[in-house]
Amino acid sequence: MIQVFVRKANQLLRDLSGSLRGHPTKPPSPQPVPATTRSYEPLRRLLLTDGVSRTLFEEYANHRKGSRGEEETGWVLLGLRDTDEAIALATLPAGTEREAGVAHVRFNSSAQAVGSRFVRQLDRRLSMLGVVHTHPGSLRHPSDGDFRGDSEWVGQLRGQQGIFGIGTADGHPNNHPVVARQPKPHAQCLGALCLSWYSLRPTDANYRPLPVELTLGPDLARPLHSIWPTLEANAERLDRLARQQNGVRFDVVAGQRGDALAISIPLAEPGDAIRVLLEGKEVTYVLARHGDLLVVDQHTAAIDQGVYLLLAELASQS
Amino acid sequence: MDFRPLNDTERRQLISSLRGNAESNRAILMDRRDTSFLGSADEVSDEEVINAIKSVPCHY
Repeated sequence: MIQVFVRKANQLLRDLSGSLRGHPTKPPSPQPVPATTRSYEPLRRLLLTDGVSRTLFEEYANHRKGSRGEEETGWVLLGLRDTDEAIALATLPAGTEREAGVAHVRFNSSAQAVGSRFVRQLDRRLSMLGVVHTHPGSLRHPSDGDFRGDSEWVGQLRGQQGIFGIGTADGHPNNHPVVARQPKPHAQCLGALCLSWYSLRPTDANYRPLPVELTLGPDLARPLHSIWPTLEANAERLDRLARQQNGVRFDVVAGQRGDALAISIPLAEPGDAIRVLLEGKEVTYVLARHGDLLVVDQHTAAIDQGVYLLLAELASQS
Repeated sequence: MDFRPLNDTERRQLISSLRGNAESNRAILMDRRDTSFLGSADEVSDEEVINAIKSVPCHY
């Protein structure tokens, strides 16, 4: 039997209530969707927000300093595909559970799937644009092996065209380490790090250089990056919960020791919900009902299992 | 009238539109000349995005 009790004076609740009563900042409303069909033309350019561009360069630099710095790494790019251009608005990292070596990388797609649910809460028009990955040497172009996989994969993307970024650390040593420059329309360099951009369609014989431009804007997925290992550890269960329950919402909130992932599962009555706070390996279940927050005396690490146990308990009480 | 089977892309778009209509009351677009399926709005389904993420090939 799960015991639910009110701990209004409880320190934990005081610490968490700000995060769990609602969203720390009201997220933007979903964008209205124009009721028009979209016809796509070949991409003319890629727009990168400054937020996305900073994420890529910063995390690439940090990756190279880390214990797995010799391995390839990468990111999935989500964004808006327009008629003949695309704007990248979110980066989903390869993850610590990626399969990688000095000559290959396969992303941990489970965490990226949950990450896509997080960013698409803000705008349901966000779609998969493409992939960035790094090369250990100076090959600023996707490899033949990349082409074999990518040329099949891009057929499912909007406009049947994918965007591919290649990261290399072969920039000129005298490059300015603080200010990025653009030696070619499709290339960006910051210090020794360079990103080269290409597009590919299923019928292309090779990748095409894709001019890149910067604009002001966020990386909508950046708040998730600080808790990415937590996301990876729970990704399969979180994704299953989101598929099984309507209206599941993900937020990054302030936890007791840093950022935490908050998952909200709405109940039948308006405003009522089960909220789960994930901070590292610590899981806290909270019932929001009739304006009160009730901390649940349950510590099931498997989040979906914990939620369904609580739902069963609530059903037995009604 | 064209009774050919839908290709993969058309089938995916139709399923996405039907789901959007059922879940979110979004309009299904129809060609007024022959009532054929005209596609969907710009909103992208979770299924489409997650399928693309899950099928990203290994990179070298």
